[in-house]
Amino acid sequence: MKQCGRLSVKGSRAVGLFFFVLLLAAAPLAAAEPDGAAILRQVDANLQPHSYEMYRKLINIEPDGSRKEFVLYSVKKGDDRMVALFLAPASEKGRSTLRLGDNMWLYIPNVGKPIRITSLQSVVGGVFNNSDILRLDYSVEYDAVGIADQGDTYLLELKAKTKAIAYDRLKMWVDKEALLPTTIECYAASGMLIKTLSYKEKKDFGDGLVRPAVLETESPLYKGYKSVMIYARISKRELADEVFSLNYLARVEELR
Amino acid sequence: MLHRRLISLLAAALALVSPLPGAAAEEYSFELEEFSQKSVQWGGYVELKGEHLAINDSGALARLAWYGEPRAELDRLGATLQLDGSFRTKMVSFNWLAQASGRQDQEQWADDADIFAAYASLKPSPLVSLDLGKKVFRWGKGYAWSPVAFIDRPKDPNNPEEALEGYIGAGLDLIKSFSGPLQTVALTTVALPVGRDVNEDFGEPHNINLAAKLYLLYQDVDIDFLLYSGNSRTTRYGLDFSTNLAAHFEIHAELAHIPRQSRRLLRADGLVEMEEFADTSYLLGLRYLTENEITAIIEYYHNDDGYSEAEQARFYGLVAEAHQLYEATADNSLYLRADQLSRGAYGQPQLGRNYLYARLTWKEPFELLYFTPGCTAIVNLDDDSFSLSPEAVYSGFTNWELRLRFTLLAGADLSEYGEKQNDNRLELRLRYFF
Repeated sequence: MKQCGRLSVKGSRAVGLFFFVLLLAAAPLAAAEPDGAAILRQVDANLQPHSYEMYRKLINIEPDGSRKEFVLYSVKKGDDRMVALFLAPASEKGRSTLRLGDNMWLYIPNVGKPIRITSLQSVVGGVFNNSDILRLDYSVEYDAVGIADQGDTYLLELKAKTKAIAYDRLKMWVDKEALLPTTIECYAASGMLIKTLSYKEKKDFGDGLVRPAVLETESPLYKGYKSVMIYARISKRELADEVFSLNYLARVEELR
Repeated sequence: MLHRRLISLLAAALALVSPLPGAAAEEYSFELEEFSQKSVQWGGYVELKGEHLAINDSGALARLAWYGEPRAELDRLGATLQLDGSFRTKMVSFNWLAQASGRQDQEQWADDADIFAAYASLKPSPLVSLDLGKKVFRWGKGYAWSPVAFIDRPKDPNNPEEALEGYIGAGLDLIKSFSGPLQTVALTTVALPVGRDVNEDFGEPHNINLAAKLYLLYQDVDIDFLLYSGNSRTTRYGLDFSTNLAAHFEIHAELAHIPRQSRRLLRADGLVEMEEFADTSYLLGLRYLTENEITAIIEYYHNDDGYSEAEQARFYGLVAEAHQLYEATADNSLYLRADQLSRGAYGQPQLGRNYLYARLTWKEPFELLYFTPGCTAIVNLDDDSFSLSPEAVYSGFTNWELRLRFTLLAGADLSEYGEKQNDNRLELRLRYFF
């Protein structure tokens, strides 16, 4: 028994040594595993500056080819402050939406006061909703919970950080070389695919920002319909915190 | 060889049907120069509206309006022009909003033109702005009603998103943002004079009144403390809040207290007295969005200076007496008395004490883009009378909006909606925005 015990001690030391060597060998492999969170942060940095002003056009295209266009001016500060103002068409001109974290408000000039709205509500109709218009950085709204190497692309599995986020899960295909998204599938908590976003037409926006200028959206909920967002100008801009408040919402036009 | 040819043919066919990348780029053009900032901006809308009203010829308010020539129905065609605009420099802006409208029915032509807002703003920084002129304030969180809107004209719950006429005053707005649970503090103070040709309909003349609103965004809750003080109206205090309980669920509330409120009251003995009382009115509301994009706005409103069921019935009883007297003798003296009582008292749009407002709108059902059907109900909870308005809005053509709405008013005799001017109303409205 004593010998057996000695053998046993020896045996356990050998097993320990074996696992230690295995761990050492596995360590570089683990380090080589791509970090989904870091990639997501880099994707955000490559898409837009942390604080910026931006001009976008939204086009809703119907199955018969007819279109409705909206032009938006937006400013963002830090992680979670954003304002968007409609410049066209005339029926929407002057409407502005404010986002402070999970809080969203809509200001309609005729009504003359901001009202609280939900992130899922549509401001203009069509496939876009508030959270598409007032989208914060992906890494602010989502955690990377999985990553798969697919050759030229990474497939990131993203999970919403809170229930206030419009889409519960995203599947994001990221171009490995540019670290920019190519396709994003948006899913509801039930697992239903709500929409598919496709980033297209890379463009140099200046100041080192090279990113897709077109974002196409299709939704199985609106069969045959397509929405397109065209980015015309994205530039760094620092603004006072007070710009992102209810009292300032009627004055957003003055920022241009 | 054959399958190579087939593949080449297939590739050529695919190339023909696939759009070229260059063509796609042209398809989505965006000329930013068109949207460059201009110092003067104009906008607005033109509206055409046709209405058919089925008159409630046995209702008190219809008898009061047409006792000489009772009628069963009324058709009305109207047009409205609304103009808004601004002139901006770096620190100063001038803003305006004006509306002119005209209506023709079988009886008469009526028109009016008003400047709803015209004010100058001085904005030395994002933290401060100073306004001088005629402005709409729109205080309160309520959708259909706002008991804390102390310096606004009352909203029309049937069309709460329509522009209102403002009051002339001077206002100072201060904003400060913070990091932490208290995210924003904003103070709005307004001096509102009342005199000859200045805010005459606000209250007692020859006074300068003061109103203030302190806004806090604290832990994702909007909170307002409101105060009005002056001699044109009695002092009033207010509190409101709104917050999101979930991404699709918002709640809001308002509380207004007026320690010395007064109203004209028709007593049981037939005399009219000016009654003084402490008025505490409040509103509780919610906005809920379902998964299939139905938005529900529901509000309960306690209007403390409204009339009880018995007090309303007394007024309708007076009109019934006036009707009998007029039918028997052509003497309209009681009608004239009732008409005088209806102005600013029993004839106001919501004269009851407890109301329920419910509005349901369904965004783009059955994949019908830009089409929004809806239904609005306003119920007087004391006498169970109500108005019910199904509607359909289509905004598919850029800058055009078409709205069809039918309103049914129903209630027992001597109830609010049972005694209104109309049994029902059909309305078609076309707006072009520019």
